[in-house]
Amino acid sequence: MLTFIIRRLLITIPMMLVISFLVYLGLELTPGDAVSHMIDPEAAARMTEEQFAEMREALGLNKTFLERYWIWLTNVVQGNFGHSLSGGVAISTIVLDRLPATLELSVFALVFSTLIGCVLGTLSALRRGSGTDNALTVVGMLGVSIPEFFFGLVAILIFALNLGWLPAGGRLLPGYETFFDRLPHIVLPGIVLSLMMTAGVMRYARSSMLDSLSREFIRTARAKGLPAWRINLIHGFRVALTPVVVLIGFRLPTLIGGSVIIEQVFQWPGIGSEFIGAVRGSDYPLVMMIALLSVFAVLMASLIVDVLTALIDPRVRLG
Amino acid sequence: MTDLALSVKDLQTFFYTNNRCNKALNGVSFDIRKGKTLGIVGESGCGKSVTASSIMQLLPRLSRIEQGSITYHSETEGEIRIDQLERDGAEMRRLRGDDIAMIFQDPMTALNPVYTVGFQIAEALQYHTDLSPKARGEKVVDLLTDMGIPMPEKRAKEFPHNYSGGMRQRAMIAMAMSCAPKILIADEPTTALDVTIQAQIFRLMNQLKEEHGTAIMLITHDMGVIAELADDVAVMYMGNIVEAGTVDEVLRTPRHPYTRALLDSVPVLGRGKDQDIKSIRGATPDPYERPPGCQFEPRCDYATAACQQPQSEDYITDTHRVMCHRYKEIFDNV
Ligand SMILES: Nc1ncnc2c1ncn2[C@@H]1O[C@H](COP(=O)(O)OP(=O)(O)O)[C@@H](O)[C@H]1O
Ligand SMILES: [Mg+2]
Repeated sequence: MLTFIIRRLLITIPMMLVISFLVYLGLELTPGDAVSHMIDPEAAARMTEEQFAEMREALGLNKTFLERYWIWLTNVVQGNFGHSLSGGVAISTIVLDRLPATLELSVFALVFSTLIGCVLGTLSALRRGSGTDNALTVVGMLGVSIPEFFFGLVAILIFALNLGWLPAGGRLLPGYETFFDRLPHIVLPGIVLSLMMTAGVMRYARSSMLDSLSREFIRTARAKGLPAWRINLIHGFRVALTPVVVLIGFRLPTLIGGSVIIEQVFQWPGIGSEFIGAVRGSDYPLVMMIALLSVFAVLMASLIVDVLTALIDPRVRLG
Repeated sequence: MTDLALSVKDLQTFFYTNNRCNKALNGVSFDIRKGKTLGIVGESGCGKSVTASSIMQLLPRLSRIEQGSITYHSETEGEIRIDQLERDGAEMRRLRGDDIAMIFQDPMTALNPVYTVGFQIAEALQYHTDLSPKARGEKVVDLLTDMGIPMPEKRAKEFPHNYSGGMRQRAMIAMAMSCAPKILIADEPTTALDVTIQAQIFRLMNQLKEEHGTAIMLITHDMGVIAELADDVAVMYMGNIVEAGTVDEVLRTPRHPYTRALLDSVPVLGRGKDQDIKSIRGATPDPYERPPGCQFEPRCDYATAACQQPQSEDYITDTHRVMCHRYKEIFDNV
């Protein structure tokens, strides 16, 4: 187990390298550079070519693509993540500032979708063919097919603006710092972010549970005289769980992608809203860092899923 | 005090799939004697498993016991009409695994892959005995020892995928025997295993029958197995018991053409080497398009016009009965 984890961690290094190069290349190929975004057009019109060149040189933009990538890479390896081109703030500061909010939101959405998805999916399977099952199936189809930002806007309209139950956006108000003070703020963005995942988990949990319930060990459990709850949960659900955990792992990237949009909609001060600004401003170092963080998160998530799968299913051997 | 463990009378179990009615069991009667082995034999699809599921009330949703009775003769509580119990009600659950236990055809899939074998055996003990968790653990080891599983302490902590097929079936038997059932239903327990393992499993079952006085209902499609293990035998065809009696009666003096055809289709131990092995001609009819009279009539060498009429059961001796109006002529023919 331990050697497996170490090996997987080591594999992430070359993967991150390749991906960082691809992202760098992608940024290089987008039109415009940081300078043209930093200076407003009127001022730019009055600047001379030399001034532009000076500025580019100051920011290190005049070097060749490979040179710049190499400089960036060696800095990162030494723990120097550089500064944001537009604001001059250290990227580590930005990340430390913004990451907790994003983590909070994603973990909330992850936990919510896992719990609710499993409960509803299991219920649906146990009551297959019933009104509950049909209703949940329809809700699940809507959930996976309607984009999250739409749900976000509708949720703000209904729960924040019309009913006034929950705040429409933001994360912290001055003076409200405990977990329970923050809870109302996270409810809407957290649930909206998790909707698609919840619907996916629910549909998958339902079919996985149906499959598990049709297996022969269920008949053995019944033949032992066990009560229904034990047959359904201890035997049925426990076996249905493994594929659901794998699915959640596969879907994690969509949660990360979704958080970029949801943070915008709810003005959640996370790394996703920072990311949009950075891309718009061609702020290479910042975009690179955020992209790498997301990739790292996805790789770690898949590692955790593998370890979890091995823990809950004795047939799975790591190696 | 009766010497019967279980009586089935005129049992009819129907399936309602695809909006059609399949009369899977159409009036089945038999008794299981205490401490004896009743063999139920017949080709695949004749209703053997449905009979077992009816007794255990483990029928699929789309099937139902329409008529007839299943009576369990309990030593402590008198007669219990299983057919009248609620399918998954408390009383039925109390009988399952405790008074009547069952093992299945495929031990590969009958055990839950994510729990240890010990856990799965202890589960039955948890629900049917007052044993403490520690005592249950000890009992599990004892049971595995009795089933001839080496290193039982270690084996109890292992998962089914660490077991071979034969070992798994032993574990299944340990589970079934854990609460000392009065009746053990074994539905083709060795069909999925290879021949040497098969012999070991049967030896084990016989040993259990003798040591614990457990009555066994052994389902098989193999007449050879019946000859070796059963005390009584019921021959089943398309939802009917066409012939039943003691093993001696049925195997030595088979009256029903189907029984004879079955016997001719397998080599039987003790019948010598040069046996004439014939397969039964034709195929089992579509369960939805059953013949009106004797179900075997379309495949029978002795069929006459009268076979198109529903057949009655005739008793040849107190125990030997047959469902064929020509049984006298056929026997004289041998
Ligand atoms: N789950 C089921 N759904 C529909 N029909 C079934 C089911 N199980 C058994 N049957 C029908 O019941 C009849 C008897 O089957 P079964 O008892 O399984 O035969 P076998 O003697 O091989 O065990 C067959 O006609 C079969 O089609
Ligand atoms: Mg069968």
